[in-house]
Amino acid sequence: MKDTKTEFKFFTIPEWEKEQDYLREQHKRGWKFVRVNFLCMYHFEKCEPEDVIYQLDYNQEGRVHKEEYIQMFQDCGWEYMQDYVGYSYFRKSASEMKGEEEIFCDDSSRLDMMKRVIKGRMLPLVAIFFLVILPNIYLQSQVETPINHVLTFVFVIMFFWYLILFLWFGYQFWKYWKFINK
Amino acid sequence: MDAHIRKVYVPMTETGFYILLCLREESHGYGIVQKVEELTEGEIRISPGTMYGSLSKMEKDGLIQFVREEEKRKIYRITDLGEQVLDLEMRRIERLHRNMLEVR
Repeated sequence: MKDTKTEFKFFTIPEWEKEQDYLREQHKRGWKFVRVNFLCMYHFEKCEPEDVIYQLDYNQEGRVHKEEYIQMFQDCGWEYMQDYVGYSYFRKSASEMKGEEEIFCDDSSRLDMMKRVIKGRMLPLVAIFFLVILPNIYLQSQVETPINHVLTFVFVIMFFWYLILFLWFGYQFWKYWKFINK
Repeated sequence: MDAHIRKVYVPMTETGFYILLCLREESHGYGIVQKVEELTEGEIRISPGTMYGSLSKMEKDGLIQFVREEEKRKIYRITDLGEQVLDLEMRRIERLHRNMLEVR
């Protein structure tokens, strides 16, 4: 019987809650999360099935002042795992909790985290959209050579791809916002 | 007190209020968590993500100030501006409480 496994799993920018549920579910089935690498490969090792709550935070300031950031979570009983594309991973066993615990205890701080994600992950995409894709559609279409035709085509495809992403992510963030403000 | 501070902190969240209340004495984040748990008899346990976010926000807005670091824990204290905000909140809550008793 193998005692480690690796799964490919892709979560988009607004899907941190889905990812938390996924890691918790794995642990319940006896697969303890070890790490995730840049190819979205999730590594697990075999363990006793247990209900362990996984939580993701997105906090640039915490990543800069890492020691004291992690210390605060540890003081509250949360084990720090790693950082991955800006998110910090924490877990805590349900048996050590008094009732339901999360790393955020009010909606205002949940909303603040969503804003940090938008600022940290979405703004760069918006910048690429306006500073690279849009100007290039115009510039490439001004020149009449085959290579520029191809490039125009590529940037137009990117234009629509980004547009779809913005709409999709926007919808996800809106849903989360609605959920919090319910 | 400028409009931004008023808009963000008046009225403030329960967490925010307890943080300011506790920081009239120097403390680090986890110290506040413990103090609040004690004050509320275990009713309110501030989570670390909320605590960390609130402390950085309040420090940036000048409601609290960093004093020193002790064993990887940052110690803070309330500022004059923080006192003003806390005072506004206290008066608001006192009024709330008074009115609640009147109509009950």
